[in-house]
Amino acid sequence: MTKAAELAKMGEVLTNSQIGGRRNILINGAMNVAQRATSSTGISTSGYYTVDRFQLFMGNTDGRVTASQVADVHDGFANALKLECTTADTSIASSEFFGVQTKIEGQDVQQFKKGSSDAESITVSFYVKGNASATFAVELFDNDNSRQASQLFSVTTSWTRVTKTFTPDTTGAFDDNNESSLVLAFWLHGGSNFTSGTLSSTFVSSNNVNRAAGISSFLDSTDRTFFITGIQLEVGSVATPFEHRSFGEELLLCQRYYYSIVFQTNNKYVGHGSYYNTSQLFWFKDLPTTMRTAPTLEIAAGTNYYTAYRTSNADGVNTFNISTATPDGVMFQNTTEASVGSEGAGAIIYTANDAASIALKAEL
Amino acid sequence: MNIKTVKKNLFFDTKLGDFTDEVVSYQVTQEGSNIVLSVPLNPDNTDYQAIQEWVAEGNKIEDAD
Repeated sequence: MTKAAELAKMGEVLTNSQIGGRRNILINGAMNVAQRATSSTGISTSGYYTVDRFQLFMGNTDGRVTASQVADVHDGFANALKLECTTADTSIASSEFFGVQTKIEGQDVQQFKKGSSDAESITVSFYVKGNASATFAVELFDNDNSRQASQLFSVTTSWTRVTKTFTPDTTGAFDDNNESSLVLAFWLHGGSNFTSGTLSSTFVSSNNVNRAAGISSFLDSTDRTFFITGIQLEVGSVATPFEHRSFGEELLLCQRYYYSIVFQTNNKYVGHGSYYNTSQLFWFKDLPTTMRTAPTLEIAAGTNYYTAYRTSNADGVNTFNISTATPDGVMFQNTTEASVGSEGAGAIIYTANDAASIALKAEL
Repeated sequence: MNIKTVKKNLFFDTKLGDFTDEVVSYQVTQEGSNIVLSVPLNPDNTDYQAIQEWVAEGNKIEDAD
C-alpha cells in the first residue's frame, strides 16, 4: 500500500469509527447549562425545572422532590443534576411514575440506522451516585415506532460510571424530522403499571409493564438523593470518554430548545421596538440560533413588570404576547398598557421588577 | 403545563391599522403561576399540542377581548 493510500485509509477509519467527529448525541450531558433556574422545590408534575434539556417526568404520586444543579467536582465534571426526595410516598399506586429524561430529534439520530439491516448498537454512559445503594433503570424509547429497551443499573454512595450498550434494532426507522424520536429515560420510581412485567434489554414493542421492572423507589424515603452527570449517548458498542464541550457551544445547542432572554432580573434591557400607534407597541428579537420550531413565549406577568422608554417618557407594561413567531425571530406586542405611547415613537424595553422573566421555548 | 385558561390573540394588520379575525397565538394562564404563555399556532410546538389535548378533553378556548 502506498503512503497516500495508507493515509487515506487512516482518514476513513477516523471518520467512520467512534474516534472521529462528534460522539455525544446528547446536549448538556455535563449539566453545565441551567437557563431556567439552579434549584426548584416541591416538584410534583412533569416539566423542565433546572438543567437544560433534562425533563422530570412525574405523575400520580404524593411524593415531592427538589431538583438542583449542583457543583460536585469529580472525573473532570464540575456540575451534576441532584434530585432530593422531600416528601416520601411509600404507598405506591399502580399508575405512579417518576424519573429524568431527555428527548432527541429524529434528524439527530439517523446515524443509528435503526430499522435497517445494518443498524448500529447504541451505547449510553453516565456517572451516578446516591445516598444509599439502589437499582434504577435506563430506557431507550423509540417514539416513532413505540419500541423500547431498558437495562438496570446500580447506584452507590460513590460516583460510578455506568455503561450500557443496547443491541442494534433492525425494526422501525427513526423519522428524519424535528420531532421527538428517541427518548433516553432514567426510571427512578414506578407503580405496577410500569414495573410488573419483565425488563427487556433489547428493543421490543412497548408494553408499559416492562419498562421499569426491578427498580427501587426513589420516593421511599426523604433520605433519598440521586446525582447524575456526564451522560453520553453514542453510536457503537463502546463507551468512549465523555465528550466535553465549551460552555458557549453547549449553551447554543440548548438554545435551540429554550432561550432565556431575562430571568428574574430588574432593570435589564431586553429589546427595542416602536409604537405603531397609540395602542400598539411592538418589539422584535432575533434569536441566537434557529429554534426547533416557532417558540412559545414564557413571560412572568405582573403590574408594571416591564417598562417601555420612549420620547422622554416611560410606560409601565404588564406583559407581552406573540405577534409573530418563527424559529429565527419573534415579534412581541402589547395592546393593553401601551395606550399612552406616542405613535411612531421608538421604544426601549427594560425589565422593571425583580421577578420579570422572558423566555422562548421550543422543547420536544 | 397546567392550563387554567386559553384565550385567542388576534393578528394586528398594520396595513389596516386594526385587528383582523386571524388568530396568531393562544394566551395561556396556568394554575398557581404568574407565568403566562403565548403559544404560536404551530403543530410542531409541544405547547400547541398540549392545548389541542386540553380542548379534546372538553375545555374551551376563549375569544379575544
